[in-house]
Amino acid sequence: MTTPKHFEEKGRFQMDISMKMGAEKKPFKILKPPKKAIVFMQQHIGKCNLPTVNEGEKVITGQKIGDAEGKMTVPVHSPITGVVEGIRKVYHPVLNCPDTAVIIRQEGEEGLMPLPSFDLNDRNEIIELTREAGIVGMGGAAFPTHVKLACKGVDTFIVNAKESDPNLVCDVRLMIEKPREVVSGIKLMAKALGARRIVFATRTHKGELPELEKIMKEGGIEVKRVRPSYSVGSEKLLVEELLGREVPSGTFPPDIGVVVNNISTAYALYKAAHLKEPVISRGMSFYSDKNGIENVWFRTGTMVGEVLGSLGYDIRKFDRLIIGSLMMGWSIPSSETPLLKYSAGLTALSPEYPKPYEKQLPCIRCGYCDSVCPVDIYPSLIMKEDKEKDVKALRRLKVMDCIECGLCSYVCPSHIRLTKHLWGGKRKAKRP
Amino acid sequence: MTKDKLKKEEPPHIHIGFDKNELMLKTFLMMSIIALASIIVMGLDALIHIMIALGTVLIVHSTIYSYQVWKDIEPTYRSPASPMVAGMIVGLAMPIAAPFEVTAGVALLTILGFKYGQGKYFKRKYLNPAAASKVILLLVLSLKTLNEGLLFHTHHIDLDLMTATGLQSSMWIFSRETLPIIGFDLSPAQSLFLWQTHGWIGGASSIVVLIVGAIAAYWLRYKWRIIVSTLVTMTILAAGMGIYLNGDPILRIAFHVFTGSLIFLAFFMATEPQSTPMTNYGQYMFGFFLASLTFGLQLLNVLGGSIIALVILNVFTDQFDKIVIKKPYGHKGVKK
Repeated sequence: MTTPKHFEEKGRFQMDISMKMGAEKKPFKILKPPKKAIVFMQQHIGKCNLPTVNEGEKVITGQKIGDAEGKMTVPVHSPITGVVEGIRKVYHPVLNCPDTAVIIRQEGEEGLMPLPSFDLNDRNEIIELTREAGIVGMGGAAFPTHVKLACKGVDTFIVNAKESDPNLVCDVRLMIEKPREVVSGIKLMAKALGARRIVFATRTHKGELPELEKIMKEGGIEVKRVRPSYSVGSEKLLVEELLGREVPSGTFPPDIGVVVNNISTAYALYKAAHLKEPVISRGMSFYSDKNGIENVWFRTGTMVGEVLGSLGYDIRKFDRLIIGSLMMGWSIPSSETPLLKYSAGLTALSPEYPKPYEKQLPCIRCGYCDSVCPVDIYPSLIMKEDKEKDVKALRRLKVMDCIECGLCSYVCPSHIRLTKHLWGGKRKAKRP
Repeated sequence: MTKDKLKKEEPPHIHIGFDKNELMLKTFLMMSIIALASIIVMGLDALIHIMIALGTVLIVHSTIYSYQVWKDIEPTYRSPASPMVAGMIVGLAMPIAAPFEVTAGVALLTILGFKYGQGKYFKRKYLNPAAASKVILLLVLSLKTLNEGLLFHTHHIDLDLMTATGLQSSMWIFSRETLPIIGFDLSPAQSLFLWQTHGWIGGASSIVVLIVGAIAAYWLRYKWRIIVSTLVTMTILAAGMGIYLNGDPILRIAFHVFTGSLIFLAFFMATEPQSTPMTNYGQYMFGFFLASLTFGLQLLNVLGGSIIALVILNVFTDQFDKIVIKKPYGHKGVKK
């Protein structure tokens, strides 16, 4: 695949993506089920689940172990067969604080508790299946997919296969390994949405994924090649790029008749519909600065340390472990932190890898951050107002429209992590 | 497990690899080309002015840096790149006729008072260091002139820019220039554009400043809106004045736009990041007012009009940032 060496961003800035080169050729390494799985109750945007199992209870792979009532809820399932060792608070890598998790010890023979049968010709049943299978935005957003599929008045369904992050290739790999399955999932989603138009957004070039493209064409799916840019991978910006429609501030794509779903999410729906398997495993890209990218298929709830061990890495050689990509992932304090159903990447950095933000200099107001910002806000001015806690100014500067892409920090010649101030500004502006 | 050894960090974890020092070094490199052109046009005196300015800032910087290292204080500038840029600006912003000791004095005030001093006491540079130092020099000069019973400096006393004939007769200083080697005699307008031996060192060849400045602005992403707005506004004002007074609009444009003070200032001083606006509209407005104020002060024969205008506008930078904010994504109007 002819991956470009750079993504082109606004303001003529470039992002090095050479680490992606050739990595999509590496097949998924399927990891063994872990000996211990830590399954968080909160793995979606919305109301937190409550455990539906008790300590000491036996569970089977695929069994529902947490759920809650309400629209914005998505159940979680056991990724392994075993015994509930405990239910306790564990550090959550995204919430960045301890949160309730069911800890399961592997025991007994591996089996699968299949999902109940659903009528795949009925829109409502597909939506119900999506919820029951625990499907969320697998690209990292974790938005409940069944809520998106239940949207009415949708004319266009965009499948986001852009995979913008500089060290992730698992989506492209999935397209190579499972083209028919992916398209099957896309069609189910389109059926639930009743969308007339299906657009497949990819950064691959024509002819690079021949089988997938052939199946897409047969299925009436429009393949759109998106220009190589990191920021265009963002849901709202992708809508504008492909359809020329702006998603108004404070609203979401469905409000203008568009739904965007990630390719891994489509594959998860295929598995739920045809293999009756809920989200208990997924593919991700593991990147280390020493060895580059490897594609891995893992069970959710597997601890990061166990993934590294299975791949033959000595964890002591790394001083930063990041769940997610180099641009948007948070580093974790312990290798005992588990992976989530929306973990598309894992990054391990050695002590030799640069720490570009370690020595920040004062802002020189060069305006680089403003030039590169894909949503046209002023990160440098927001930083100033965040420091001064001026909520009125933060709202005037439209801090809530920040998509948290991190590009402002990436280009800052003073090496300031502006993103931190954008989060801070958002928190302050949200307050009544 | 390795719990204790892992570092907790927020994203992102990669950087483009371009830093402030690189920006400063490349700016210095670009200005060196202008300096070379100025030395060719103006001769040895230009070189001496530049070396004095650079030498002064480097001595001060090295002394402060050594003291900070000795006292285990985090150095204000780890690299000499930024002080070197300040020194070069001072050198290029001096009139060729200025006494060398004045150049040294301005450079000292720039580095000590307005570069180190502003940063330390105000946490940011609100005023362009070289411009602010030169304004202080101009104040001293003006007091001296007033003390001598004159309203204008002797250099400007005979200038009459309010009439077409006045401008024409004031141009004697830019006449009698000949391009070397090819021996081409230049008109005052051509001299202002190509080869001027009077005025600011940095503006000795406007065409060189235009080319090098444009390349630097593109390459190093200067606040180009200020440059464009300043030059366009000044061109319109000068052309308008020329037409209104039934004079030569080309000469007017050449005088107001290509005197060293404006052309060099527009590219390398008015774009100084810390003391200029961040917002797009703020930058356009800043350039508009900079040109308008400079034009007005030039017509009134005020010595150093562009520098005074820049320092005045620097004071209002934060206000410019509040005028109009560009509409972010999501506020531009829904296309259905």
